[in-house]
Amino acid sequence: MEQRLANSLIMTVNEKKFIESALLSDIRVDGRRPFDYRNLTIRFGSEDGSSEVQLGQTQVIGFVTGQLTQPYRDRPNEGAFSIYTEFSPMADLSFEPGRPGESAIELGRIVDRGLRESRAVDMESLCVIAGKLVWSIRIDLHIIDNGGNLVDAANIAALAALSTYRRPECTLGGEDGQEVIVHPPDVREPLPLILHHFPVAVTFGFIGKENTVVIDPTHYEESVMGGSMTATLNTNGDVCAIQKAGGDGVLQSVIMQCLRIASVKAGDITSKIKNAVESYNTQRSLKKIKRHNPDQHHSSDVAKNHMERLTVGSDQSVTGSQFNEPDTTNKRNSTLKSFSGGPASWDPYSKGVDGDELRTSLASRVAPVDKQKEESSQVNPETKSSPKSSDTNSLASINKVGSEIKQSKTLKDAVKPKHKRRNKSNAK
Amino acid sequence: MEVERADGRTPNQRRPVVCTRGVLHRAHGSASWAQGGTKVIAAVYGPKAGTKKNENPEKACIEVIWKPKTGQSGKPEREYEMVLKKTLQSICLLNVHPNTTTSIIIQVVNDDGALLPCAINAACSALVDAGIPLKHLAAAICCCMAESGHILLDPSKLEEQNMKAFIYLVFPNSIISVLPEGSLKPGASELGIITSVTHGVMAVDDYFSCLKLGRAAAAELSDFIRNSLKLKAGNDPSKAG
Repeated sequence: MEQRLANSLIMTVNEKKFIESALLSDIRVDGRRPFDYRNLTIRFGSEDGSSEVQLGQTQVIGFVTGQLTQPYRDRPNEGAFSIYTEFSPMADLSFEPGRPGESAIELGRIVDRGLRESRAVDMESLCVIAGKLVWSIRIDLHIIDNGGNLVDAANIAALAALSTYRRPECTLGGEDGQEVIVHPPDVREPLPLILHHFPVAVTFGFIGKENTVVIDPTHYEESVMGGSMTATLNTNGDVCAIQKAGGDGVLQSVIMQCLRIASVKAGDITSKIKNAVESYNTQRSLKKIKRHNPDQHHSSDVAKNHMERLTVGSDQSVTGSQFNEPDTTNKRNSTLKSFSGGPASWDPYSKGVDGDELRTSLASRVAPVDKQKEESSQVNPETKSSPKSSDTNSLASINKVGSEIKQSKTLKDAVKPKHKRRNKSNAK
Repeated sequence: MEVERADGRTPNQRRPVVCTRGVLHRAHGSASWAQGGTKVIAAVYGPKAGTKKNENPEKACIEVIWKPKTGQSGKPEREYEMVLKKTLQSICLLNVHPNTTTSIIIQVVNDDGALLPCAINAACSALVDAGIPLKHLAAAICCCMAESGHILLDPSKLEEQNMKAFIYLVFPNSIISVLPEGSLKPGASELGIITSVTHGVMAVDDYFSCLKLGRAAAAELSDFIRNSLKLKAGNDPSKAG
């Protein structure tokens, strides 16, 4: 019992009073005005469908995965999706591992309602064979840092991950036209999900007896507030969901004002998400072009940069909590000057490199050379130098073909037995 | 007899590492460790009051929670937690804070081979970030052996799946001595193995050659860890609590 109390956030009376009295002069503890959002940063992982959202000090990561399943009986031509929320114990001392608590379940329900009941995700396009096979999308949200207002951050993470997720393309084929062939991503370009609109959640906190309203509360404000309301809206002005579960009573006029403010904020956030997704998509298509079609001009520049950086340092280490672009580039420049990492004499290409070989080997690399990327370092200086390019190309293609054969086999095996039974019963 | 690897590395080349400390705000210590495509975030809370039920109250207790990327935690996650716990118990100074619990939480962000070594490295960096007293650092590396007998360092997921066997090795960091050369007793600079987890079948000689390679790789990796953990300019006093 004492352990649990010690783990939860304990605020002194002075701190609480300070927050409330500062709000009477329209000042918040972190310097914002009552209707200002914190800085929102949306980043994407290396795989499609993974997003990392940072809203002030709150951090949430989202993953979207899909698999083929049977549809629900009452909706035979619609896909399915489910949301799993994890309040990771790394987010807060008071989050315990194991069964999700009330707030975790409430958060999951709010995000789910916003997406499902407003029909934001197009379910009918996920159908492969009506009544038999549909795509089931699974969204995993991991809260890794609790800085307050987890609902909004989790919602944005879910939307960002859904926007960048790509599901494999599948076609009907085989003898009777009933067999489903799932094409792996290197054979056919995977397809994005169809999102009709973006339901954005905006949370308000009601602090004090004067019903002072603040938007996007921090975790200190959350422990002081008397009630909260989450409104999920989209840019068309539709209210997708409103959640006000208990707490202090609030005047009607205040609620209406909140909804008006929320629609403005929803527009801002939607445009931020769309910008981030667009830049991710352009990067992704550039990666694809580099992989399949090595542009001589482009990769020679890349090769030059690579050669330069090889002689300066090896791995990269960054400290600090902010992931803002200018900070990390500054740190990188400073680490390059006073570098910590492998010694500069460790030049893996001890014999010197043929320019053509390097170009083609870089083009066949699976991982792209990004401007934030690091260099490789070698352990035993006695091993040989330049990698052979033509063989890596063939090896890469062999690997891909091998995985393709493996993939189509396992998924077919998962699907086939059900079909066979069905066909037999139909034939009877 | 060169072995071709998909991303153009030589057999003794590990993937580039990106290590970031102080990633999270609420955790007492945190670190993110990315080795090529594999990325893991580790957070440390501690020391907290009290130990778990069956633990020795005269020593500090280490608790590890492993969160996979998607899905429920199952048996593989339990195994990772157990290995991580035993490894970290051997590097922490357990007598400094008796009757306390230090929790380490691992979150897998992406798995592209060598997941457990990546997590061990991340946990070690997070412990340093939290200021937990340690005997020495832990440098973890993965070696694998192909059917043809070639030994590769730091395999990616595809390579791991095609290998006959692979080993996860954890070594303490290399010693930097202020004493003049030769005054150290012979054998004192030998690095002992903290942890070794093997999957698959390999001959004893092959195991020893993997050990040799792993030791060299871990020494080089531990130099990097030592340098990167020195970088942080001044500690953030508002962290704990």
